[in-house]
Amino acid sequence: MHRNVDIKVAVLLGLIGASVFSVPLLTADRYMLRVLTFVGVNVIIVAGMALLFGYAGQVSLGHAAFYGIGAYASAHVVTVFGWPWVAGVAIAIVLTAAGGLLLALPSLRLRGHYLAMATLAFGEIMRVAFVEGKGVTGGPDGLSGIPFPSFLGIEVDSAGGNYWLVWSAAAAVLLIASNLVRSRAGRAMLALHGSEAGAMSCGMDLTGLKVRVFVISAAFAGLAGSLYAHVVGFISPSTFSLHVSVLLVAMAVLGGTRSLAGPVLAAVILTMIPFADAVIPGLSRSAVETIQEWQEDVYGLTIIAVMLFVPGGIAGALRRIAAKGSVR
Amino acid sequence: MSSETDTMLAIEGLHAGYGRVEVLRGIDLRVGVGEVVTLIGGNGAGKSTLLKAVIGLIPPSAGRVRFLGEDITGIQPERAVKAGLVMVPEGRMLFGPMTVRENLELGAHSRGKTDLTEDYERVFELFPVLADRQDQSASTLSGGEQQMLAVGRALMARPRLLLLDEPSLGLAPKLIGEIFAALDRLRSEGHTILLVEQDARLALRHSDRGYVMRTGGIALAGSADDLLADDDVRLIYLGTWHGGEETT
Repeated sequence: MHRNVDIKVAVLLGLIGASVFSVPLLTADRYMLRVLTFVGVNVIIVAGMALLFGYAGQVSLGHAAFYGIGAYASAHVVTVFGWPWVAGVAIAIVLTAAGGLLLALPSLRLRGHYLAMATLAFGEIMRVAFVEGKGVTGGPDGLSGIPFPSFLGIEVDSAGGNYWLVWSAAAAVLLIASNLVRSRAGRAMLALHGSEAGAMSCGMDLTGLKVRVFVISAAFAGLAGSLYAHVVGFISPSTFSLHVSVLLVAMAVLGGTRSLAGPVLAAVILTMIPFADAVIPGLSRSAVETIQEWQEDVYGLTIIAVMLFVPGGIAGALRRIAAKGSVR
Repeated sequence: MSSETDTMLAIEGLHAGYGRVEVLRGIDLRVGVGEVVTLIGGNGAGKSTLLKAVIGLIPPSAGRVRFLGEDITGIQPERAVKAGLVMVPEGRMLFGPMTVRENLELGAHSRGKTDLTEDYERVFELFPVLADRQDQSASTLSGGEQQMLAVGRALMARPRLLLLDEPSLGLAPKLIGEIFAALDRLRSEGHTILLVEQDARLALRHSDRGYVMRTGGIALAGSADDLLADDDVRLIYLGTWHGGEETT
């Protein structure tokens, strides 16, 4: 029975993977590919948010800052210092992981929502730093002319190439996250979410666990930032504001806890809402403009609707479907 | 009789509390290997605080805790579990959405990756109802079954000293009887147990020795039989309201 379900899940994942992979083969629509590439970037960050919120039970209101640090660090060393792209990605990951560690160590030693507060403050500090640190970030005007990703002498400059690059990274990140969730550490995270006192009485190092998860989620955001910078070619402080941090939390909440698939789906849906015309052919320009104007309200209403009508978020709905599908 | 056995836990002059509020004011206590020792006392006497201070959930401000001869004062909780000091917390603190089996598996977390087949069997033998419910989520269990699972989960860590905080809390008399029957079995198998219990009469009947705590100190110590017979203890802690209900 169990094996049967596993095979079904594997087949389903294979199908999803194949269809995601084949998009650039089926269309040359640059707009659509760009939107879907951006979806992939958000999926990478949300994988970390899902670990942090859905498994470790912590809220970060500053992940846009890590996203930004990754983007600026990578863009700066590649554009100004002329380092290879791979080094830019590495710097983005290392810097954000280190930043995550520095932020998490003091705030996670304390019980309660100190991490949320610390990350909120951190996000605001970094937003100001992005605007004021003109020497590195280009200030409010941002950094432009960031070269496309390139490795082994090949520049990935096509929309399809960028799509594949970002989604390959997203696949790798999801693989790491799902392995982590299935590991002993993952079980411990679930326990922590169930009952902190219980987890402690089982001899789990809770602080260490939370710090590790936070560092991983920060590094994912850093990687996403680096990919974003080189794929889009231009970055400015508004991309990494509190608004984005809150949106990322919304994706994690909407997705549901104890799940990767739920938050990933939520990321796909919420990222696509303002660009619905990229995938829905008949949608008129004015309809899309209306959606974009009312974007915040649409997000808010979506979240309220899910909370009211879909308990447990998307993950809860997926579990109910799975439970119906398999006869126990 | 008790001093002849080897010492498992020795507490000397322990002070601890929450912030500036000192709850424990110089506790001396000893648990011998293979003994079942009960802490009794009224609400706020410091019984649960003492357990928490022993396993490092709150840092002691003075005094010593020795475990099998080793000084473990102010140990980290996760190290306490590794060393073999395992607490069944008050209120059970199970992992509600997870299954019975997963709860048990997590109980063995501190032991790393090992084969747990034998451990599951031992817990299911002690609490057969858990075997029937092993794929059910913990939150669907009755109060008594949850307490059994909490004890079972603690046993998965292979404790050398089991600390039980109020195992009878909120349970019907019949279920309390089942829990204590299980404790008797653990006792006969040579487990060492430090028990905190509101129902002093019940606890003493299942223990070798007891300590009476009052306002953060030890007011009285002695064998379980002596304490059960002591006039003060009878008057204060074994009041007549317990006399009517037989829970063993």
